[in-house]
Amino acid sequence: MKLLFWCISLILLVSTVNVYADNQDPYPFTSSVEADRFHALTREIRCVVCQNQNIADSNAPLANDLRDKVYQMVLAQQSNNEIKDYLVKRYGEFILLQPRFNKSTIALWLFPFVGIVTIFSILLRFMYRRR
Amino acid sequence: MLSKQTLKLTIPFILLFTLFILLAWELFYSKPSELPSALIGEEVPAFKLPDLYPSQPPLTQKTLTGQIMLLNVWATWCYACSLEHGMLMKIKNEYHVPIYSIDYKDNSQDALNWLQENGNPYEQTGADTKGDVAIDFGVYGTPETFVINAKGKIIYRHIGAIDQKVWDEVLYPLIRQHGEKK
Repeated sequence: MKLLFWCISLILLVSTVNVYADNQDPYPFTSSVEADRFHALTREIRCVVCQNQNIADSNAPLANDLRDKVYQMVLAQQSNNEIKDYLVKRYGEFILLQPRFNKSTIALWLFPFVGIVTIFSILLRFMYRRR
Repeated sequence: MLSKQTLKLTIPFILLFTLFILLAWELFYSKPSELPSALIGEEVPAFKLPDLYPSQPPLTQKTLTGQIMLLNVWATWCYACSLEHGMLMKIKNEYHVPIYSIDYKDNSQDALNWLQENGNPYEQTGADTKGDVAIDFGVYGTPETFVINAKGKIIYRHIGAIDQKVWDEVLYPLIRQHGEKK
């Protein structure tokens, strides 16, 4: 009886190991560089359906499709910029969670600096005048 | 005559007021879920999809030139698509604007049955069972409708179902305006 118990426990244990094996990464890579690149990219790409999630976290069907697309492109040795350009061309700059610095985003990037400089100059003027 | 002092006092209020107006605009009037298409003014991306009817030739970007037309992205599982179906039939029968379509991530047999039962407003339908071509069009939900001019360039994208209001106020004026230039 005790033997049977141990046998069953062993079988159960082995079967859980198998489940773990089946549950491995759905996006297998042969090199860790590529895997890192894939994971970094999917965290930088916005899920356009559920807009405040990236496609790594989102389970929306379109996010799955885009993740597959990025996976295929990483496997095809395309550079990060090529992959981002591909997506931006189709979905617009908005798809990147961190917008790139270019003509259409220049105001977005420069505004904080311009704002800080302006406010400081106004403040300084005020303070000097008080004295 | 405003003195310098009063001017100085009113400027912060004017700035604040402007900021509030901007805030109100973003809060109540902007539609963050309706992304502008990156493809406006671009040519239709190259693609090739098998026709929903297996005996027909495939649908490609070459089909989508020569006259102003609509390209509708739909699916049988999409509820909003069934809402706009009546309007699409009307566009075909009363306004005579050709509508092509992409059946997005759908079971082709379901789609065939659906068109059989409800009527087929489309000149030709490509079956995008995997959704690859939809990605090339920057589609992120169904229904979406592109307006394509005679040169095969995308001039407008409408997100969501088409109803009489959208047709009268947005799409039809656009189609008439661009159709005349041909």
